[in-house]
Order: sequence, then structure tokens, then C-alpha cells
Amino acid sequence: MFLTRSEYDRGVSTFSPEGRLFQVEYSSEAIKLGSTAIGIATSHGIVLGVEKRITSTLLVSDSIEKIMEIDSHIGCAMSGLTADARSMVEHARVSAVSHNLYFDEPMAIESLTQSVCDLALRFGEGASGEEERLMSRPFGVALLIGGFDKLKGYQLYHAEPSGTFYQYKAKAIGSGSEGAQSELQNVYKNDLTLEQAEMIVLKILKQVMEEKLDSTNAQLCTITKETGYKVLSEEETKEIVDIIYEEEAAEKQRQEEEEDDDEDEDEDEDVDMN
Amino acid sequence: MMTGQHGSQPIQHQFNPYSDNGGTLLGIAGEDFAILASDTRQSVDYSINTRLSHKIKAISPSLTAEFKAQNPKMIGTKNSILFGTNGFSADGDALTRQFEENWKWYVHDQNKSAMSMQSAARNVQHLLYGKRFFPYYVHTIICGLDEEGKGCLYSFDPVGSYEREQCRVGGAGASLIMPFLDNQVNFKNQYIPGTNSTERRKVDYLSLDECLKLVKDAFTSVTERHITVGDGLEIFIIDKNGVRCEYHDLKKD
Repeated sequence: MFLTRSEYDRGVSTFSPEGRLFQVEYSSEAIKLGSTAIGIATSHGIVLGVEKRITSTLLVSDSIEKIMEIDSHIGCAMSGLTADARSMVEHARVSAVSHNLYFDEPMAIESLTQSVCDLALRFGEGASGEEERLMSRPFGVALLIGGFDKLKGYQLYHAEPSGTFYQYKAKAIGSGSEGAQSELQNVYKNDLTLEQAEMIVLKILKQVMEEKLDSTNAQLCTITKETGYKVLSEEETKEIVDIIYEEEAAEKQRQEEEEDDDEDEDEDEDVDMN
Repeated sequence: MMTGQHGSQPIQHQFNPYSDNGGTLLGIAGEDFAILASDTRQSVDYSINTRLSHKIKAISPSLTAEFKAQNPKMIGTKNSILFGTNGFSADGDALTRQFEENWKWYVHDQNKSAMSMQSAARNVQHLLYGKRFFPYYVHTIICGLDEEGKGCLYSFDPVGSYEREQCRVGGAGASLIMPFLDNQVNFKNQYIPGTNSTERRKVDYLSLDECLKLVKDAFTSVTERHITVGDGLEIFIIDKNGVRCEYHDLKKD
């Protein structure tokens, strides 16, 4: 019997004849619908930033939680089905706390990410029907996990629903990720300061967001060795947002003046011609 | 009614899961080294099971060919942990093996080459407390170098209470040697001459040679006074170059 693609995308543990797992691929699509999240690792700290989609003027923006603390030295930003992220974050928190309990040291960022990905991969468990199923589908959310450990310093990881993870110097996920990622590639330097990174994250968010960026529809957090995980308050975010708009206004004015100068020059030339 | 007379009480059959295998375990942490030593006798009651048992294990990252060529006598790197147990030897062996397994998993899972002493100590606590109601009948001492390269020693009671110390003796000879070490390592009850016992002698690190002399003196003395201590003395020394092991004979009587 001929099986179409739609029949191979039902089971999470069935490969298609081309060797693909459709449900896992679809879960990546779910992330592309999510709001944009950006992370940058610098030698001075980690910056995570997210866009909050405020769908109604009556919505309280504080209630949108897309950046979460995992441990005092680890934070994460998410994009996709954020409800799924809650169980991932809970798993991550349990891992971090129990590692600290059993080994009297902060958990390393890479092994924390590994433990989250172990959970993400459990969608296949019980699919044969012999044991109880824990998950009906892969997670529909991707995480940017950033933090500091003594072993490798500042690190940023991207954890996918497929259970794989990669380390990045800078990474964007979500609906605006394509544009944001190429912009990150243009502006990333190895010697960025934390303040520069904060500015870059907000500037890129501004570019890719549909709504106009302000201090309520974007959220930033920093993770440093000294202060650990810290979410920027609305006032702190506003300061950076204001600078961005000021710079933009100044740039616009400079351009206008340049244009005026050009026109003046043209006029001068005209005079000479005459 | 007469008590203790045959037939006056029902005979109780009881399984005793523990035995006392005697022996003594001693550790001293110096400024940039640590030593862990034990006698090699293993006995039960008045009989000797073996005159060459090993109560200490050096848990080390695998040695490279280069390291072996450069240090043919070294049995471990500076990142090793000297793991010593004393008391009921079967429990001691089981604990050592379990810790070694945890150590290996830790190294794999955390992408590290070794475990810090601080983490090792916490892990041993969980191994011991995990059997709070059927404890490992052992006194545990672990030695190594801390993250600053300083000599480091942690000692544990059978259920996992632990403390970082400069020196500790465990096992049969503990009550005989510990006061000696208090005086000789931590300078307890030592006062500066001429101050009429008002000014204490300041504690200072002992050199490796001084420590080794103390260890040998302690063991030869306790061998004289305690029946379960003797036969041989194994001394493990860890410093920035790695781990080496010395063996000295003790009286076999």
C-alpha cells in the first residue's frame, strides 16, 4: 500500500522512508511561530533578551514570563510553546539543585543543558505501547541556556526539541530568528562588553519585532560571575531603549543635514555653471 | 530468679552483619601535600586474615604514557583522591568501589578530568547517609590537594558527618594516636618556653619529612600497644608531582 507523508507523521517513533521524523521536524516549526529570543555570550557575561507579544492593551506585560532563572548562575530564554518550557525549566532546576546537593558545587552549564535535552528526548519513550507513555509529542519550545561555570567560563547553549544542543557565541530563535541571526553575525565581536551586548540585543529585537519596541514589550537578563542571574527592571530597560531612540533620532537628523548639504553643493555647482 | 543460667531464658538466634577487622588509618594534610597511611593487618578476634590488606586506594585519572615515563614510581596524578576506610573491611571495600564508580560517572557527565576534594567529600557524605539505618561500619578519611593546590583532608563518621581537618586518625589505634597528633601537628598544649604557659606555640605547617617521621613513630608505637595493628605500613603521599606509595614493615607479633 502506498503511504503518503501524512501517514508517516503520526507516530513520534516512526521514521519516514526518507529517514525523517516528521513530528520532530514539526516541533521546530512551532518554534518558528514563537516570539523572538536572542542570547549573546561575551567575555564579561551573558545577555538574554526576549520579545513579548502584547496582544491586548489590557494584558499585563509582567505576566508574560519568557526569561527564567534556573539557578543563581544559569538563566534561560524561550521561544515556542512556552507552557512546555515550564516542565523543562522545572527539570533543569531540579537537576541544578540536586547537583549542588550531591557535589557541593554549582552545576556546569553544559551538563545542565545535557540534562534538559535528555528530558526533551523522552517523547519517544513508551511509544511502542509496552510501557506507560510520559509524553505524547516532542516539546514545542526551544531554549537559550546561558550561564557561568568555573570549567569553561561564560557559555550559551541552544537546546532544541529534538534533544540536540549546540554552543553559540550568539543565537536568535523564534519568528524573527533568520534576520536576527544574520544581524548577530554582522555585529558580533569577541571583545563585546556586557553593555554593548545589551544594546545589540535590544536593537536587533527592535528590527525584527512587529510592534514598536518599548520597555514593556521586551525583557532582558544578564548573567555574570559577580552578580549571577539578574533580570533588568522596566526602568533599566527603558534607559537602553531611550538611548536607542535617541541615537536613531540623531542619526536621522545627521542624514537630513547631509542631504541638505548635498543640495547646497548642487546649488553651488549650478551657480558656477551659470 | 537466677539470670544467665542455662535454660532460664529462651535461646536467641541473632545474625550479626558486622565484624571488626581492626587496623588503623591516619592522615595528615601539609601545606602542599597530604599523606594517608594505614597498617596492612586485617584481623577478626584473635586471628589474622591477612598480613597484607589494602585499606587505601588512590583514585586517579588515567595516567598518560608520558606521565608514566617521567614518573615511573608514581601511581596517580596530582588530581587523585586518596580514599581510606577502616573498620569493617567488607563495608570499606564496598564504599570505596561505590565512590570510585561515582567518581568515574562524574568525570564522564561533567566533562572533567577529576573531582575536586570538596565535591568528593559531599558525595561520600551522601553514600554514607544513604545507609543511615544500616550503616557502613567504617571510619573514612580522604586526602588530596584542594583547588588551590593545598594539602586537604576530610574525615567522616560512619553515617556521613564530615569535616575538613589538618589531621585525623581512625580505627583501632585512634584513641592512642589522636592525642599524640593533636600535640605534634596542631601543637595543642604547647606553650612558648619562659611565658609561664600563657603564650601558645603558633601552629605552622610541618614539612613532609617531619610528617613521615610522625606517621612512622605513631604506627610503631601503636603496634606495640594494640593487638589488631601491625604487619606492615602503607603510606600514600600526594603532592604537585602526583601520588606515590611507601611500604615499611611493622612487627608481626
